[in-house]
Formats: sequence, C-alpha cells, structure tokens
Amino acid sequence: MAPGVALAPGLTSFLKSLKTNPADSSVEHLISLLKRRQIRNSRPCAIATAALISKVVGEFKGNDATRLLERIRQVGRRLTAAQPREVVVGNIVRRVLGLIREVVEDNVGGEPANNSETGRSTPTQSQDLASRPHLNSTISSMSPLRHAAIEPIETSNYSSDISDSGELTKRPPLLTSHTSYAPTSTAPLVNSLFGLFSQPVESSTASTPTVPNSPDGKTPHSLNLDRLVDLRGSQQYFDLKGEVMSGIMELQEELEQSDKQIADFAHEHIHANEIILTHTASTTVQTFLAKAAKNRKFTVVHAETYPHDNAATHEVLLTGRKQDARAGAPHDDDDRWKCLTELGIPVYVIPDSHVFAIMSRVNKVILATHTVLANGGLVAAGGAHLIAQAAKSHQTPVVVLSGVYKLSPVYPFDLDELIEYGDVGAVVPYDDGEFVDKVDVEHPLYDYVSADLVDLYITNLGGHAPSFLYRIVADHYRPEDTVL
Amino acid sequence: MNAAPSTSENPLPNFDIVGVYRRILNDDSELTMPVAAIEALVEAIAESSVSTVAETLALLEHLTKVLKNSIANPISLSAGTDLFQRYLITTLNRPGALNLGPSDDFKIIRNHLISNGNIFVERAKQSREKIASFGTSFIREGATILTNGGSRVVGALLRRAAESSTMRFKVIYVISPTSTDAEGGRKTVADLRAHNVPVAVIPDSAVAFSLGKVDMVIVGAEGVVENGGIISRLGTYQIGLLAKSKGKPFYVVAESHKFVRLYLLNQFDLPIDQRILEFSITDDENATEDEGVADLNSGSSTSNKPKNSVLTATNAVDFTPPDLISGIITESGVLTPSAVSEELIKIWF
Repeated sequence: MAPGVALAPGLTSFLKSLKTNPADSSVEHLISLLKRRQIRNSRPCAIATAALISKVVGEFKGNDATRLLERIRQVGRRLTAAQPREVVVGNIVRRVLGLIREVVEDNVGGEPANNSETGRSTPTQSQDLASRPHLNSTISSMSPLRHAAIEPIETSNYSSDISDSGELTKRPPLLTSHTSYAPTSTAPLVNSLFGLFSQPVESSTASTPTVPNSPDGKTPHSLNLDRLVDLRGSQQYFDLKGEVMSGIMELQEELEQSDKQIADFAHEHIHANEIILTHTASTTVQTFLAKAAKNRKFTVVHAETYPHDNAATHEVLLTGRKQDARAGAPHDDDDRWKCLTELGIPVYVIPDSHVFAIMSRVNKVILATHTVLANGGLVAAGGAHLIAQAAKSHQTPVVVLSGVYKLSPVYPFDLDELIEYGDVGAVVPYDDGEFVDKVDVEHPLYDYVSADLVDLYITNLGGHAPSFLYRIVADHYRPEDTVL
Repeated sequence: MNAAPSTSENPLPNFDIVGVYRRILNDDSELTMPVAAIEALVEAIAESSVSTVAETLALLEHLTKVLKNSIANPISLSAGTDLFQRYLITTLNRPGALNLGPSDDFKIIRNHLISNGNIFVERAKQSREKIASFGTSFIREGATILTNGGSRVVGALLRRAAESSTMRFKVIYVISPTSTDAEGGRKTVADLRAHNVPVAVIPDSAVAFSLGKVDMVIVGAEGVVENGGIISRLGTYQIGLLAKSKGKPFYVVAESHKFVRLYLLNQFDLPIDQRILEFSITDDENATEDEGVADLNSGSSTSNKPKNSVLTATNAVDFTPPDLISGIITESGVLTPSAVSEELIKIWF
C-alpha cells in the first residue's frame, strides 16, 4: 500500500486531480490506478468510482437520458474490465444507472396524470401517454427481482433521496409504488407472474408503432431504452442532470455514512462480557466494535490474517483505523479514531492457525467483507472461510458487516474468478531459492464463504438473513443493468 | 375485490375442457402443462357466451375444477389455472388497469383475451429460451453436469450451452428405465450427443456412485412451491439429498409460471394420490397391472383418464425441500428458494 503522502498515486491524489482534469482523462486515470492496484479495496474503489461518475454526469451535455445511460454504461464497462475483482466499481455504476432510470420513470410517470387533467387532445396521444405507466409496469413485471424502488425499512439516508427528487418535480405518487407493497388504486398491477399476460395487453392496445413490444423478441432492457427514446420526443422537460447529480451525492453520502449506520446496530449484537472474534483490518468492524465499547465491556480476539493483511491489522489495532480509510476521509477529526485498547477493550491478536482452537470460547464471530454476492455468499479476506467453518463446527454465530454498496447483483457463476492471488514472496521469501524451486506456493488474498456459513448480515439498512439478500439486491439494482 | 359467486350449474355443458387441454398438449410438444391449461381456458371463454365478470369467473372456476379432477397430477396444471384466475379476478374487477379504454366494456376485455391466446403461449416458450441463455453461464469449461428426467427446460439449456460456445462439458443423464418419460430423456441425450457433448446415461441407482465426478446438478421441475421447494419426478429428492451430502450445487430450472401455491412439509403432503408405498403380504400382480394402466394413461393418449387415477412409481413425483436447492433459474434471473414465496405473495395478495 502506498504511503498516505499526498503525492503518491492513490485515492487522495485521484480525488484531487478530479477537480481539475476533464472526465475523459479522469476515466483513463482511474483505469490505470485500478490496474496498478494503487486504488484497491472496496471503499476506496467505491468512493473513486462515485466521484468519477459524478464528474462524467457533470460534464455530460444535453438532457438525453438514453445517451447518458449509454455513456455511464460505457465508462462502467471499461472500469470493471480494468479490475473485475473490485466488484464494488460495477455496483456503483449500476446504482447510478438505476438512479437515472428512476429519475426518468418518475418524470415520465408523472406526465400522464398531468395530461389527463388537461384533457386528451388527440386520441393517439392520450393512448400513448396512458399506456406508459402500464408499459412501465410490464418492464418491472418481466422480472420478479424488480420491486418497488424503495422499501419502508430503509433508513432516512436513502429514502430522502427519493422524496427529494419527488418533491422537486411535484410528481403524484404513481407507478413504482415507493410507499409500500400495497398497490395503490391508481397503480397498475406490478406482478411478475402476470407478466405472462400483461405484455400482450400492451401489444394489442397500445398500437403506437413507436413502442415496440416484446413479442418481436425485445428484451426488457431494450424496451426500456425504446421508451427513453420515445421520451426524447416529448416536450416534457425535467432537470435530468440535476436530479441524477443529487442522487449521486446521496450515494456518496451513503458511502460515507454506512460505517456509522452499521455501528448503530452494535448494541443489539454485542453484549456484555462476550468474546468476539474478528479478522483482518476493517474500518467497518472497528467502528462497530468501538461503538459497542462505549457502553459494554467485552473481549476481542483478532486473527491477524497473515501474510497479506497482518501489517494492516496491526496498524488498525494500534491506531484504530486503516490508512486508506484515512485517505478517503481526510477531514475527520482524529480523536474519534481511538483504538479498541484505548477504549478499555482487551484485544488478543492470534495467528489464523489458532482460530479453531480458540473458537470454543468465542461467543460471536464478526467478519468484514470485500464483496457480498446475490446468493448470500461473500468474498472476504483470506482466512474468512477457515473462520466461518470453525464457527460452524462450534455452532458459533457468524455475523458479517457490509455496507449495501458492497452488495453485488452478480451471481457467482465461477468462484475461481473472484479470488485474487497475491505475492507469494509474502509467504516464502524469494531469497529462499531452494524452497521456492521445489514447492508450489500459493497466496490467495480472498476467500469465498458460502451463504450457509453465515448467520446474519448487518448492512446500513439493518440485519438480514443471507436468504433475504436477494431482496436488497432487487431494491437497489435494476435487472437490466446486471450485465453492464 | 369480490370473489366469484359459486354457481354450481355447468355454464358450458358442451365444452370438453379436458379434451381441449389434451389436444393442445399433444399438438405442441414444446408446451408445458400450465400453459396448455391457460390456453384451454382461453378457448373455453371464446366458446362461451359469457358477458359479465361474475359469469366468467364462475365458468372458469367450474372448468378448472373439471380439469383438475380429470388429471392424475394436477399440480403443475393448477399453477397455470390459478395464475389465469387471479389475473382475471384482478383485471376484470379493475378494467382501467388494462388501459383498454375509458369504459369498463367487458366485451373488449374478452375479445382481447381471446385474440391474444397464442401470444401467451409464445411468451411461455420464449421464457424457456431465456432461461437457457441465463443457465448457460452456469456451465463452465470442463464441467460435468448431472441431470435427470425428460425436462424440456433442462434440455433446452444444455442444448444452448452446446450450441452457443466452444465450451466443453460433459453430461451425466439419470434415466430410470421404468419411468414414463425415459423417452423424452433419451431424446435429449441423442440431441446432446449430436452436438458433440459426451453423455453418460446412468440409472437412478448409480447417482451416488457417479456424484464424485459431478460438478453440479441441474434438474427441471413440475412445480415450484411456496417455500421454494420443488415438485419433480420421483428420484429428484434423493439426487438433492445426495448432492447436498457431497456439497455439490443443486440448481433447478423452471419457468416462473410453474410457481404454485402449495406449502409442503414432507413427501406425503402432496395433494395427489400416489401409489408408491404399497404394503402387502402377498405377491400381488395388481401392482404391475396398475403400472400398465398408468403408463397408458400418462402417455400422450387423448382418451380421458379415469377420474380416480393414481400415480405409481413410474410416473410419480416427489418433493425436494428448499434447503437442498442452491438456486432456482427462472426467466427473470437466479432466485434463491426464499424468493419464491414473495413472487407468489405478489400475485395472490
């Protein structure tokens, strides 16, 4: 890891250069930083991506949602290709794409209601407009994973985003039923299984040639795009860029806040005199434990995850935070970052090999994560699988802390692709020539932990069972964006 | 939303819904039972002279009952009829949702429904292709896939994988020699071999033996129930158990119109009569006779089944509980078993 000096290439220098450089060269810059692993780990990648996308949107000319979507999609494709294992980059891109779609749908959705009040001028137009909300619903109904854009349980952070944009346009509460599961009387049926029927309904009634329907083999995605193209022709104007920008700002705020929000659940999960086992260097976990330490006395056993993360682990234990996290939020006052021992929590550092032996005395395992996948499994620092298996055999609950931004809609088709291998010199030094010659050494940086080894996920939205994650994925990503 | 009044009289005496259902199923071998049932019901509505919502729903209810009673294993079929019924109830009571026009003119709805019968079918077929394209990403270079039965979705998926890429994979096909759909299975095997996919055919009894060489299990389903479990041909449950014990991923491919509102806790909760466990103290020959009858019936003969027909071990189904299932591949993505209930809740409530 590069030292936190301002000159070294990394997140800080990238964010600084973003202020002056145009979007295109910034894209190249981030790609090279990702490729050279000068920005790595989920949070810095997420922050950098969000900042870059906001720059791209800011420099985007015009009010054409289709082109904006395509532009961001193209940037996203290049970024994810540069470093496919930093799944977070793709997540942020998908979140922004979903945001744009939502902004467009909100504005288009409000349209027919306005028009119906002013009266239907021409039959074709009114039919066209009237068909739109329904078309919208069929897009969503094509896929069960597409749900109401927001859930009641979500914290104020995200929901304020919606209500803000809603107030901006004074849009009537239509369509995607932001409010609840219960369909309102005006909203058309948003039912996935009915999709089998509702599509032909469109094809026969909304016979406007501008709206091609899926019988001719259109995917929901292209349908949506077509609709956006259609939208371009309409006179209705709304501040696409402004709304998307404010949405991205909410997203950035979420990135900033997620640790604190996760930590707010600490008291529900850490009880007095418990022995907590954790691993690797994670700001999320440290914040969580520090929050609990304010009111409770407990013991932390910290597996050091040798050889790839032990230095960072030691640093976290001594200073309370990671270097790259410090770089990400430079203007935080430092006294908030006390290490656990300063807060009066006894911390024992153990090598990974002792995990099983000590597990019988551990009350709870808290894992940090790199990426959470749609099936409830997770990719975490190497050693996580060992810890999870040991916990399983001792029936110790495993709790995983993860911001929603780490939750990916990607299904782990091939696990080997997700695991990154690091410098074997850290395991066996290269100067041990004889040994290196004769033995194959491998150094995986990450582990895949399957969903059935995890008991609970705590995200900034609350605690969820692994089997519920599909729902959170559905709330945050559009299925048409899953493949960038 | 007012439910249909329970009229016990037969609103459409001359319409042979079962015959139509069988004809539709026979005419198009690519069709699944739920879709055939929907098509038969649409045809019935076209035949009839119903002019009100209540009449339509009563007719539908009656025909559904007739249809369910005459088929030995109506689980899969009922997914289609239920779906259609719910769709009608919710849309007929709220015609505005269809955007058909300002008035709730029932005739328009009816005509539109009838004229679009074939689009339903097209859509259902498309979903199979979509599943196939989703599913191929599960198949990895050098993988060995174990599958069973004559599921058309699984067949389509494997064929797509074989056609669309230069990827090499092997298939172990479990075919129970006595099963009634061994035919369909053999067809798929021949098809795959024609595409240069090495296929090994094994009997049910060799599953555990072969599992060490298997990377993943893919099965089809007749119905996907509320808790995310599946109803599939006899033998799927044991494959699931074995796969779980060996830590092999067990995937189900099913179109979402196969989701059915049933909550099963064990094998014997299945709402159909299956003669699998037949305790006896004599060497009875009846069993084999029954098998023959069942074979005839479950084959694609157009003759009506006896009303109280039962399923024997050759064409019976079993229930695979959700904890054995790694994922359900539908046309809208890969679902976890727990996502199924939400889908069903969305259409029923």
